[in-house]
Parts: sequence; structure tokens; C-alpha cells
Amino acid sequence: MAREAGVLSPRARAIRGLLTGYALFIYLFLFAPIVLLVLFSFNDNQYSSFPITGWTTAWYRQVFGDYEIQDALRTTLKVALVVTVVSVVLGTAAAFPLVRSRLRFPAGLRVTMTLPIMIPGILIGISLLILFTQTLHFNLSWKTAVIGQSLYTTPFVLLLVAARLEGFDRNLERAASDLGANTFNRLRLVVLPLIFPAILAGALFAFTLSFDEFVITYFIIGASNTLPIYIYTQIRFGITPEVNALASLVLVASIALVSLAFLLPAGYRLSRRAIRSRGTRRQPKVVPEAVGATEL
Amino acid sequence: MTTEVGGGSRVASHLGRFGGLVPAALYFGLFFFVPFGLVICFSFWQDVNYTVVHHWTLENYHYFLGQPAYRSTMWATLWMSVAATGITLLIAFPFSYWLSRYVPSGLQKPLLVLVIVPFWTSYLLRMYSWLNILGTKGLINTFLEKLGIIDQPLTLLYSRWSVVVVLVYLYFPFAALTLYSSIDRFDWDQLLAAMDLGASPLKAIRKILVPQIRPGIITAIIFVFIPVLGEYLAPQIIGGTSTPMLGNVIDNFQKEALYARASSIALLIAAFVIIVLILFRKSLTAKEAYGA
Repeated sequence: MAREAGVLSPRARAIRGLLTGYALFIYLFLFAPIVLLVLFSFNDNQYSSFPITGWTTAWYRQVFGDYEIQDALRTTLKVALVVTVVSVVLGTAAAFPLVRSRLRFPAGLRVTMTLPIMIPGILIGISLLILFTQTLHFNLSWKTAVIGQSLYTTPFVLLLVAARLEGFDRNLERAASDLGANTFNRLRLVVLPLIFPAILAGALFAFTLSFDEFVITYFIIGASNTLPIYIYTQIRFGITPEVNALASLVLVASIALVSLAFLLPAGYRLSRRAIRSRGTRRQPKVVPEAVGATEL
Repeated sequence: MTTEVGGGSRVASHLGRFGGLVPAALYFGLFFFVPFGLVICFSFWQDVNYTVVHHWTLENYHYFLGQPAYRSTMWATLWMSVAATGITLLIAFPFSYWLSRYVPSGLQKPLLVLVIVPFWTSYLLRMYSWLNILGTKGLINTFLEKLGIIDQPLTLLYSRWSVVVVLVYLYFPFAALTLYSSIDRFDWDQLLAAMDLGASPLKAIRKILVPQIRPGIITAIIFVFIPVLGEYLAPQIIGGTSTPMLGNVIDNFQKEALYARASSIALLIAAFVIIVLILFRKSLTAKEAYGA
């Protein structure tokens, strides 16, 4: 949307230059902490600070050999996996009536369902802590952490799937039942393939959010450790290069997961479009348009 | 066998229509609304010898508001939330304007994703990494020492402003995203038209631009202000013990098993959240907030 790109007045060009410089500064601000984290993780210096005295992968080797970290990683993956399943099931199931049924208070219901991500996480943490320890007398463990995290991840799945359902042509379903499909087959053969990208994206977001979740988990995980909780307990004794290395690994994992969440659904849609356009006798020039139309 | 779409008993069709909501409603009811009700009750009960007795009283609130230290924590929390929100929006606006107006449309999406990437990486780690920047041996001090501007490292951490800077950093993506999506929908020719018709630039901005991007501004305010109100990690890690926020008070009470006291602070934060939501309720639709 660079309007009149060629005919900018000197003043407009100056403003553009100024703003571009400003934007670069913003990106620096956003990425400096992340870059430093990775930089220090390779620094051959016992303290996490300048100067860079040399390069080493020793801290990474230390991370991979650390039993406590392995244990925390196992717990994190276990929690994230269960949270993903729970939030995908709850969120997808709830998205259908929310979009399709004539509900009495559609907007109110939507807000209610997204409330857990609208309020500060500490409120969820403390209120669940009180429910679990003071009322239900549960022992705090990774299982109680799953309950708390799912509360926070389910709305994301719900919103993603609901957005997908809203753009869904219901005539496709009517056509399917005209052709003799029963409810189950309609769901399996028509609805699920169409909303699958949203479910996949929801699942990956839920997994990533759970993987990094600290604010709620801190209150309700008891003596167990997820990676963020482990890192927190370590930082309290000061920053170490080992924690920097662990943090870099976690960062790489989260970035990979999020990229997957963005790329997989788009790729899935593309491949289905390709199959469809091969099936019907469309002009090949449709395909580049399809590439441009993949959005999330 | 093919008439299941329209057929079936009324109960079955109701279940088919609304059944999907039942698991989520039960889950949210049991683990979100019931605990919240408990917090309300607890905040009016009393901690006696590390157990909570069901004795209705306003003592927790009296106690909290009666202590000058807690009162100043409350004001500090509000002050920091307002400051962080204001600064975040102020620095996000020119950025979003630049992205929408001066960046070729093909590049806008990737550049926007670049803004969101940090948001999708761990909140704890990004905050923690600021110790590498603001610490006595951190980036800024090393840089200034190299330049010979200072010879003693500055104490940048453990102050209110350092916490605000990190909060701005943490919540910038929210503001940039919502502001961008509303600025991008604005037709800039309208602004030119207003000025052609005799409006001063300032008046044109106030009368034409601001009303149209107001939903984006308000969503941004809500999405920065509300989470900042409940922060406890940033003031603890970046601020040390010097600048506690209400979240830290909850954490401290919780550690001492004073759940009634902790509940009263939680309810105080919830009250502030509700006030903000009511003030801005016009744009409070989940669709606007997340639909973009």
C-alpha cells in the first residue's frame, strides 16, 4: 500500500525515512533480549555477561546432561499433550453450537467463553489454588496444572474453530445429506476435513501456550517442575549460561511450533486446493491466486 | 436412514444443537466460575491460625487499606499500569502507521508476524533476558563504559521505570497488532478531504481519524492494561523487592497460606478489571478483539 510511491514530496520522503528508522529501532527493541539470550548461551564465560570471551557449546552439553532438566522436560511435554487434547475437544465441541445454533445471548456467551483469556492469569491461578487446596483438598501436581492451563488454552481453540465455521458453506452439508450421508458421515467426510486446518492450528497454539505457561502454573503445580517453573527457580540464584542455553532451546522449540501452527494449516489448504483443482477442469492460473489467498 | 437431519425427537435435536457446549460449560463452571465465587467468599472470611474460618467480615479489606505500605502498592500498581499502557500505545501507534502506510503490502504480513514472534516465545524468558540488558554487567552498562560515558555501572534494574520498560516490551505486540488492523482499514483520503474542506490537520485527525480507529485503540488499551494489572513476575524479577505490585502481594499472602487476605487482593484486581471493561464496554466484543 505504498501510495504514489514514485511521486513523494521531499517532506513525505523525510517522514518515511524517519518512520522507517523508528520501526527498525522497534524491531531492535523487540529482538535484542532474544538475541542476547542466544549469544550468551554460547559465551565461554562463567557469568552471563559481556565480554564474549570465546565460543563454546559446553552449556548446551550441560543442559542435555542435567537430570533435573530432563525431568522438567518430560513433565512439560506430558502437561502440554494433555492440555492440547482437552482444549481441542472442549473448544471444538463448543464452537459448533456457538456459531450455528440460535442462542439467546450469542455475544454474551462468546465473552463468557473467552473470559479466561481476558482477565489477568494470576486471578485464575489464585482462585484454582484455593479451590484445589482449601475446598477439594487435591494434592497439587502436574494434573492440577493441566486443569488450569486448559482453562487458558481452550478459548484460543474455540475462537480459531469458530472463525473457520463462520466461513463454512452449510449447503455442502445439505448436499451431503441429500446424497445419503448420515450425521456421522457428514461430520467425518465433509465438516471435519473443512475445519481441520483450524483444529490443527488450535492444537499447536494450545501446545505452545502450555509449553511456555508460567503465570497460572506457578500457583497450582505443587512440587512438580515444568521447564518454565524450573527456569524460574534457577533465575532466583542469578543468571547462569546454562539457563541461557536452556532458554535458547525453549525459544527455538516455541518458534518452531508457532511456525508450524501458521504454516501447516496453510499448507494443508494448499494441498487440498491443488487436489481439487486437479479434479475439476480448472485453468492452471487459478493456483497462484490460491497461494495468495492463504491467510490465517 | 437418510432423514436424520430434519427428523429425530425434540430432545435429541436440542442435544445435537447445544450438546457441544455442555462439556466446556461444565469445565468452565467448575474450574472458572466456582473458584471465582470461592475467591469472593474467601475475601470476606478470615484467616485464623492458617485456616480460613467462615466468619463474614470486612477485616481483610480494612487491613489492606489501613496499611500505608499496601495503599501505596495499590497506587503504584495503578500508576504503572497506566504508564505502561500509555507508553505502549504511544510507541505502537507510529509503528503501526508506518507498517500500514509506508510498507509495500506484500511485506506487511511478514513484518507483522515478526512483531508477534516474540509474543509467542516464552514470557518468562523474554523478561529474564532483560537482566542481560539492564544488569550491572549488561548490554547498556557495557556499552556506556566502552564509550567512556560512565566509569561506574548504573543501577538500571530494581526501579519502577525499569519495570515499566519491560512491561512495555512484553505487551507491545498486542498494541501493535490491534492498532495496525484498525489503521489499515482507515481510508486516508477522508483525512485529505476534511482538510480540503477547511479543517486544520489536528481537527481532521480528531474528528475523522480518531473516531474511526477508536475500537482499535480501546482494544489495545484493554489488552495491555488488564494483564499488567495482575503482573507479579516483572516487578519481582526486574524490580526486585523495591516495587511490588498487587500481584506480588497476592503471591506473598499465598506463600504464607493467608488465603482470605490473598482473595481480597484478587477481588480488588478483579474490581479494577471490571471497571476498565465497563468504561470501555462498547467495544467489548470478543469478535473485535480476536477476529482481526
